[in-house]
Amino acid sequence: MNVAGVYELPLTAPCPSSGSRATPAAGGLPEDMLVTNVLWLCRLRWIVVGALVLFGALGLSPTWLPGMGVLPHPDWPFAVAVALALANAAFLAHARRLRGLGACPWARANLLAQMVVDLLLLTAVVHFVGSLETYIAFAYLFHIVLACIFFTRPLSLAVTAIACFLYLACVAIEEARLVPRGGIYTDMTLRDHVAGSPGVRLVNTGWALLTWFVVWYLVSYLSATVRARDAELADSNRRLLSAQEERCGHMLRTTHELKAPFSAIDASVQVLLRGLAGPLSSDAQEILTRVSTRSRRLAAEIQEMLQLANLQSTVQNPPRREQIDLADMLRSCVAQMRPLAEERGIRIEEQIEPACVRGVEEYLRMLLANLLANAVAYSHRGGDVRVACSQKRADGPVVTIEDNGIGIPAGKLPHIFDEYYRTSEAAQHNRESTGLGLAIVRHVAQAHGIRVRVSSAPNAGTTFTLTFPEDPNFAITCKEKGLGLHTDC
Amino acid sequence: MGYILIVDDDEDFALAAARVLREGGHEVQLVLDTDSAVRSMEQRRPQLAILDVMFPESSSAGFELARTMRHHKENLRGIPILFLTAVNQRFPLGFSSRDIDDTWLPADDFLEKPVSLELLRSKVEKLLGGRAAVSKEVTS
Repeated sequence: MNVAGVYELPLTAPCPSSGSRATPAAGGLPEDMLVTNVLWLCRLRWIVVGALVLFGALGLSPTWLPGMGVLPHPDWPFAVAVALALANAAFLAHARRLRGLGACPWARANLLAQMVVDLLLLTAVVHFVGSLETYIAFAYLFHIVLACIFFTRPLSLAVTAIACFLYLACVAIEEARLVPRGGIYTDMTLRDHVAGSPGVRLVNTGWALLTWFVVWYLVSYLSATVRARDAELADSNRRLLSAQEERCGHMLRTTHELKAPFSAIDASVQVLLRGLAGPLSSDAQEILTRVSTRSRRLAAEIQEMLQLANLQSTVQNPPRREQIDLADMLRSCVAQMRPLAEERGIRIEEQIEPACVRGVEEYLRMLLANLLANAVAYSHRGGDVRVACSQKRADGPVVTIEDNGIGIPAGKLPHIFDEYYRTSEAAQHNRESTGLGLAIVRHVAQAHGIRVRVSSAPNAGTTFTLTFPEDPNFAITCKEKGLGLHTDC
Repeated sequence: MGYILIVDDDEDFALAAARVLREGGHEVQLVLDTDSAVRSMEQRRPQLAILDVMFPESSSAGFELARTMRHHKENLRGIPILFLTAVNQRFPLGFSSRDIDDTWLPADDFLEKPVSLELLRSKVEKLLGGRAAVSKEVTS
């Protein structure tokens, strides 16, 4: 019994670009990542603004906060929230402008300014909540940790020093009675105990500062280590990509150089077969015909190697993607394949509806031509090949190429897209295949985000289903081009 | 029938192509480098120039020759050019877009090696026939 199998080609993520990513400036995060973090921090700050407003609102009730042992303070939470909101709006506006500019040094400046403003407002909150008798002072740690992640060690140390200075200033101003001592607890025992005990104040303040510096040391050290490792990996990746490019470039040149001598051999054989160098015996003609056949197979292999190397190579600028009339391209590929199919007694049925895609025309043509060539090559004499194309309202176009030929055993389906892989059945049926056609299909499909599904059963046939990525712009362009696509575009 | 100049550093290929074209009644001259090609064309103007692209002296010498013929040599300007090369037309690997824009487009036709010599012959007939027809129209 012939077991049918189904396999879907994985849509792997594109290779990391060899283009220069913004490099970390002396150990900090790369500029482009900083822009993302600027926006993230701004969004996070709205939550803090909301929390302050909520706290202020709770303070408006004469019973809720006192019921929990907390003094109601209706003024300062709103004032701090307004200041924080205004600053955040400015930072966010600046960050959005930065996003359009890509990597630039202003992202670092924006983040640093955010840190400083946050620390100033946090110091105000620390004063109002209670600088020594509550744990609020540990909120400085958030900024110290973030600074260690975003910035270089010296810069993060500077942020830590600013935090320490502001906290010490807060405590000193309170100590000097320049401002009335803050605090949110209704029970004054703890506050009075701290206020009346210089030793407690000293221990609490010193412990807080020591904790911050230890946290700074640990986090900045670990962060710098991770960043160094990241930079090392990025560098290795760049070198690998560069080596791969060089290898592909070498392969391109080699395969290209191979074509020239081969062309001379092929041309000379053609001259002999035409009898231009004198009459040939029937044996000589047969031998030369074999040479010619093998030469043409070699030509096809060289051409496919060249195409594959070209697809793998990033030496050249990537070809520009354009709007393509997929239906038209499919009809053209079928027309090219029809003479060979007729020679082998194979019928090709078309059911092609209008469809449009974006891509590199030559690559997509390679993909379709290879699948059609396979359908014909692995069909039995007198077989049928069905080619269909449709585009439903909200989806990308779907192309199916179906044959009732020799089929592929289920266990071999995951390997058919490998370079030079050929099933024994395929090699037996068609000796002229190079084993590169489906590797080309894989590269083109993955580069274009096309889902390729293969269902096959030995001696029953194979169906390739290509699902192109959905994009509303495609349909719009189809309409503009008068391709008659029946969608709402 | 016409006088054709083949400019190709691959002598084996050029000889084979020349044989087939001569069989068709054309007069064919072979030249193995682009400098000699210019001299040859200036001495006797061909009715068609068949150019390779990559030569030992430069990988784009064929493009440069086409540019010279089209833009810098008044007496060579109207000669039809057929590129016959191993360079792929759609993916001319290793060439810049400027190469393609400036020098590829002036060509009248293109064939990629390896090529069927029968196809080469029919292209040549078409190019020479087209040129002859234009000349005829002009003279009448």
